[in-house]
Amino acid sequence: MTTPRAPYDVAGWADARARLRNNKMVVAGVVLLSVFAVLAFVHPILQATIWSDRQAVYRPVTGHDPLISHPSGPSLDHFLGTDPLGRDVLSLMTYGLRPTFLVAVAVAVSAGLVGLVAGTSAAFFRGRYDRVMTHIADAVVLLPPPLLFLVASKRGLLGPFELGLIYGLFAGLGSAAIVVRARALAVMEKPFIDAARSVGGSPRWIITHHVLPGVLPHLAVVVLSSVVGALITQGFVEFLGIFEYRYGLGNLVYNAITYQRALGTGVAWSTLMAGALGISLLASAFYMISSGLREAIDPRRAKRRV
Amino acid sequence: MVRFAARRVVWGLITLLLVVTFAFFAINLLLPYDFAVVQGGQRYRVAEQIRVELGLDRPLWVQWLDYMWHFVRGDLGQSFDGSRVWSHLWAVLPATVTLFAVGGIIAYLLGEWFGRLVAWSRSRILGATSSTVSVLFYSAFPPWLVFVLLYFGANRLYGVRSWFGMGPVGGPMPLGPVVGVLAVGLPVAFIAGIVLRSWARRHQRRVLGLLAIPVGLGGLVVGLLASGVWAEAINRLLWPGAVVAAVALILIAFGESMLVMRAGLTAEMTEDYVFTARAKGVPERLIRDRHVAVNATLPVISRLFTSVPYLLGGLVIIESAAGTPGLGSLFLASIEMGDVPIILGIIAVIGLIGLVMRLALDAVQAAIDPRVRTDGGRP
Repeated sequence: MTTPRAPYDVAGWADARARLRNNKMVVAGVVLLSVFAVLAFVHPILQATIWSDRQAVYRPVTGHDPLISHPSGPSLDHFLGTDPLGRDVLSLMTYGLRPTFLVAVAVAVSAGLVGLVAGTSAAFFRGRYDRVMTHIADAVVLLPPPLLFLVASKRGLLGPFELGLIYGLFAGLGSAAIVVRARALAVMEKPFIDAARSVGGSPRWIITHHVLPGVLPHLAVVVLSSVVGALITQGFVEFLGIFEYRYGLGNLVYNAITYQRALGTGVAWSTLMAGALGISLLASAFYMISSGLREAIDPRRAKRRV
Repeated sequence: MVRFAARRVVWGLITLLLVVTFAFFAINLLLPYDFAVVQGGQRYRVAEQIRVELGLDRPLWVQWLDYMWHFVRGDLGQSFDGSRVWSHLWAVLPATVTLFAVGGIIAYLLGEWFGRLVAWSRSRILGATSSTVSVLFYSAFPPWLVFVLLYFGANRLYGVRSWFGMGPVGGPMPLGPVVGVLAVGLPVAFIAGIVLRSWARRHQRRVLGLLAIPVGLGGLVVGLLASGVWAEAINRLLWPGAVVAAVALILIAFGESMLVMRAGLTAEMTEDYVFTARAKGVPERLIRDRHVAVNATLPVISRLFTSVPYLLGGLVIIESAAGTPGLGSLFLASIEMGDVPIILGIIAVIGLIGLVMRLALDAVQAAIDPRVRTDGGRP
């Protein structure tokens, strides 16, 4: 090992990267997330290559394999088996992962942006604006978002993208804004801000180089954990399938449960598990990154073993 | 202090009004059709007449003013089918609140105890497995969890019930048994657990101390068995749908409280006062329980308290998946009917519970943590 560098030699971002790499939760979460990312994009590729000679059989919603009885367990033809209607579960799952991914991305982006703008502006302008924003945040936190989305999905207007955006708006105005505001207020009280000001740092420089680095990791923690809630909400909206049939992982769980009751077949475990574990593992990947991040940015967890 | 508390309460109520206003407009704009259409069907005249009767022909802001005017006087208005919204809520709230209280407390106690254990043991395997398992619990898809629990557990539960001679249960839990559970059963369980634990600690019997939670639960059952009303309560609590919903809630909330407790404890473990305590020879167990855990529980409690609305929303999902009568089934049925006042009432009640929880949290924090206390008006 090389000689350790003095603390002032290590740049902030490099230090953060090293700490993240050492955190097992973050690494596991990122690995899991990349597996799912590959799965979400693999569907057209599979259609073009492995399934190309029997494409109709593997079509996600209308496919049916006439050669075997359904539901069937994993086999060479169907890696994850088939569901009670004879559709290939791997095809259904990779197809259904796409809207789920879209929700995750939409929530992360909108919650991040809204939270950052609302929180930092409240901390920056203070005064009456700050008080109004704080009360809005307090109110939004009291709302149960899953229930509002159940109401909204009744109309059938909410696609995965819209659901993600609106959920992100809630998360951003609520918990994310609270965390970012508190964090930004704390950072702006620090002496190095005064120091930067006294040597002539412009407000823009101070915000981009001092406030944002202090705020961003905390924002990421909140945003990622709100993705978990959004994924489960979306799964449930699909599960209930109120009003409009949209295809997603929640449908897999719903199909497995209802067809078992309706057709009297055995439980289609592979369908059930593919749907439920798809939602749950993807959500837990986000949660792992979030909670690993929380540990990594805690200054008290810096290397100091007694 | 009194002024401070009063200020918080007043601002909290204003926040609640904001919540209700938002929910009012969101739901009225989002629901695709109103009750008049459901009742009147294709007959346009009839639908129009119903709409006039219900006051739905007025502009939305007039309806809002009307609703708020009733709301500030504690009246949630009239359901579209003519009955009071409060009567609908009273029919199901006791069952849901009991489920939530029992499940939440058990999940919190288990999570705190287990998180403490895991954080303190330096075993890597234990740490990795426990965090994996609790992350999976936390992010489990509720309908799936409920289905698996019902599939593997419900039949056996029916067997146990018939063995004890318990009859079938219809409808949600009435108010009497709920008061029994919340006002008598839980305190008895709590006191039994605490007495046993302190006795075990004084007499250096560690094994007995571990029995505190089971004995507390036993105390709950014995306390409930003591009277006829409470036999009814047990009958309701042991209904497979209710048990499955409770277990699902416990598993999901346990994952969260354990992870937060563990993270809090690990963060506190490197503080200087731990070093000092070790240096003066305090036993490890005492450092853990009396020094570190005391400091680490406050964030856990505050986090659980603030996630009450989220957990209640989750419980609605769980209940409807488990098919047990409660807030969940009422909510879904109201969505199906387009019954806006009931949906609004449910959201307002969840907001109210969340608000009360947050005010209670403020009080608890001010009482426990001297750093939080402020004399001025600053929150």
